[in-house]
Amino acid sequence: MKKKLLSIILAATMAATVLAGCGSSDSGNASGSGSAAADSSNGGATADTSNAGGSGDNTLTVWTWDPNFNIYSIREAEKIYQKENPDFKLEIVETPWEDMQTNLGTILGSGNLSQLPDILLMQDFAFQKYAITYPDMFTDLTASGIDFSTFGAGKVAESTVNGKNLGVPFDAGTEVACYRKDLLKDAGYTIDDLTDIDWDRFIEIGKDVKAKTGYSLFSTQAGSADFIMQLVQSAGGEIWKADGTPNFVGNDILIKSLETYKELFDTGVMATANDWDSYIATFTSGKTLGTINGCWIIASVQADENQSGLWGLTNMPKLTGVSSATNYSNQGGSTWVVTSNCKNVELASDFFAKTFAGSNELYDTILPGAGAISCWTPAAGSSVYSEPIAFFDGQAIYAEIADFGAKVPGFERGVYFTEANTALANVATNIVNGADIDAELKAAEDTVNFDMGN
Amino acid sequence: MKQKIGLNQKRNLFGWVFLAPAVILIVVMSFVPAINAFITSFKTGNGADLHFAGLTNYLRIFKDAVFIQSVKNCFFYLIIQVPVMLVLALILASMLNNRKLRFKGIMRTCIFLPCATSLVAYSIIFRSLFAADGFVNLVATKLHILSEPYNFLAHPTSAKIVIIIALVWRWTGYNMVFYLAGLQNIEYSVYEAAKIDGASPLQTFFKITVPLLKPTILITAIMSTNGTLQLFDESVNLTNGGPSNQSITMSHYIYNQAFQGVPKFGYTSAMSFVILFLVAILALVQMKVGDKRD
Repeated sequence: MKKKLLSIILAATMAATVLAGCGSSDSGNASGSGSAAADSSNGGATADTSNAGGSGDNTLTVWTWDPNFNIYSIREAEKIYQKENPDFKLEIVETPWEDMQTNLGTILGSGNLSQLPDILLMQDFAFQKYAITYPDMFTDLTASGIDFSTFGAGKVAESTVNGKNLGVPFDAGTEVACYRKDLLKDAGYTIDDLTDIDWDRFIEIGKDVKAKTGYSLFSTQAGSADFIMQLVQSAGGEIWKADGTPNFVGNDILIKSLETYKELFDTGVMATANDWDSYIATFTSGKTLGTINGCWIIASVQADENQSGLWGLTNMPKLTGVSSATNYSNQGGSTWVVTSNCKNVELASDFFAKTFAGSNELYDTILPGAGAISCWTPAAGSSVYSEPIAFFDGQAIYAEIADFGAKVPGFERGVYFTEANTALANVATNIVNGADIDAELKAAEDTVNFDMGN
Repeated sequence: MKQKIGLNQKRNLFGWVFLAPAVILIVVMSFVPAINAFITSFKTGNGADLHFAGLTNYLRIFKDAVFIQSVKNCFFYLIIQVPVMLVLALILASMLNNRKLRFKGIMRTCIFLPCATSLVAYSIIFRSLFAADGFVNLVATKLHILSEPYNFLAHPTSAKIVIIIALVWRWTGYNMVFYLAGLQNIEYSVYEAAKIDGASPLQTFFKITVPLLKPTILITAIMSTNGTLQLFDESVNLTNGGPSNQSITMSHYIYNQAFQGVPKFGYTSAMSFVILFLVAILALVQMKVGDKRD
């Protein structure tokens, strides 16, 4: 008798698990009314759940990743849009970028687009890749009523393919350099000494600071070529030839960038971290006295309240001996995408037109709230930009970043950016261990060519 | 006569009814995807735009320097880690099988516990243990074994060794449990007889324990080989394949090719079948070598 009861309980648990499993996969796909028909293995029982999930006509599903940054921003946008449309609702699914890539690969590869959300946020460096490989996943927003001329032209170009606007620009990743002013002062330097300089002067100061205080000036993450890419972009360089093949061997700006990287590493002016968490820890807990990265890094710099007032912000050094070199670059940035699975494109377009592409109020909220540097030109005139920031000792950092942003040279990332980045990361790792730059670049070019199927 | 066949059929029918759920699930969840992947492995193209291209993908594998590197890495792990781990597991198992030993239960649990931890969690913990400013470096510098911190994960050989240490820590207890179970089937009187005949513990181990455990050793060797060739979590989370692909495993490279850059599902499916092929061959060799029953 006891056994019978036990087996009934077991069977009931299993049945519940199976049903819950189906149910949750459907609720993750709130917009997909009618998706049950496409998915025959689900059977009749779950069709009801799916219809119930898709009932809210004013609900849009969003995939995005950072609670302090882009999730916060779109929540604020939702609040603003709700003032006019009280029954409008966003269902936000926190999806880290790595998971998003895996999800998109699986969904798009299987061709079952009904699993896509209505809206998702896409890293700019991956935009062209998806636009070329999976053109079916996008909704063309060119005639949607969103005024794309109000965004910075360079930023809009990232999400434009064959003259079609496939995304709504969100944030920029203008390069900034942040340093601890108190520690610099100990070594006898100020922020001005590190402003508008080249890398030779930077290394000179760095060695001196390292000798006096023991701190490196900044850090990079090993196994990633993001920093090399930032250097190349700062000098207006290219990593692709006009025919789309990799342009590594004999690329003077790239070689100069790698040489600079090696010198920074050898002198100890630059520290390296094995992973992202220890990278953040290098400048928050005292191994380096600064960081050089996209302006979204400010959110991490500001993590420790005790350091308020100790930080200063300026531009990055420029490559020495390169005529096109500037002190400005870009790392990261992202764009909103309305997917082809969106059942209410009109609503989604109107939402973006009235928020990210038309609300000063939104940008005035998310700039101080999340440090989101807008690409929407009218927002740059906002008084919020010129407000002093206490953490940076009263410096009006956002006005400066906006000013830097206007001077960033253009950079063609291409469809195979991730492959190029990985290959160049290997070059960087090998040359600091003593390998020959030219031979390594040749090997990297071969690898990327191989990945491209050439 | 007629009724008897009916009864047999009825019995068979019941058998099939009980088998059906498992069979259907296995076919739908394993066989169908595997066959689809096999078909995909003959296609080429980026993303969803795939077309048949015969053996192109399979020929391409032999020209792929990174894949060849990943095969080498996997075999490096295999050749060093599997023997070390199995020998350790065997020694631990025969030690814990001693009837006079106290606190056996606690010790068994402690040695088995690592394999109840999450793969990702333990990889991340090992990564921070072996970081440049991690615990291992701290202890080694304090004890003056190292004059300055050594970045284990930034050098090819040490990165691979860290992965092997992690694997041994994680899986030794798991294999030990198999051996302990195997040891229960060996009559204790055999050991007593050996003792009376004056056999040393070492002789007992090699002349009694090892030969009688042979079937268990064989199955653990096959499982470990299989697991090592499909190694993924440690490569991704502990070293991220670095430095410069020197510790990347085959599965990690396949994942990178499928989901990190421009997706190449045809090529990655082909690589997966190469792994299947390697695992099958190695298992066959081990079975031929290990199984001496006629």
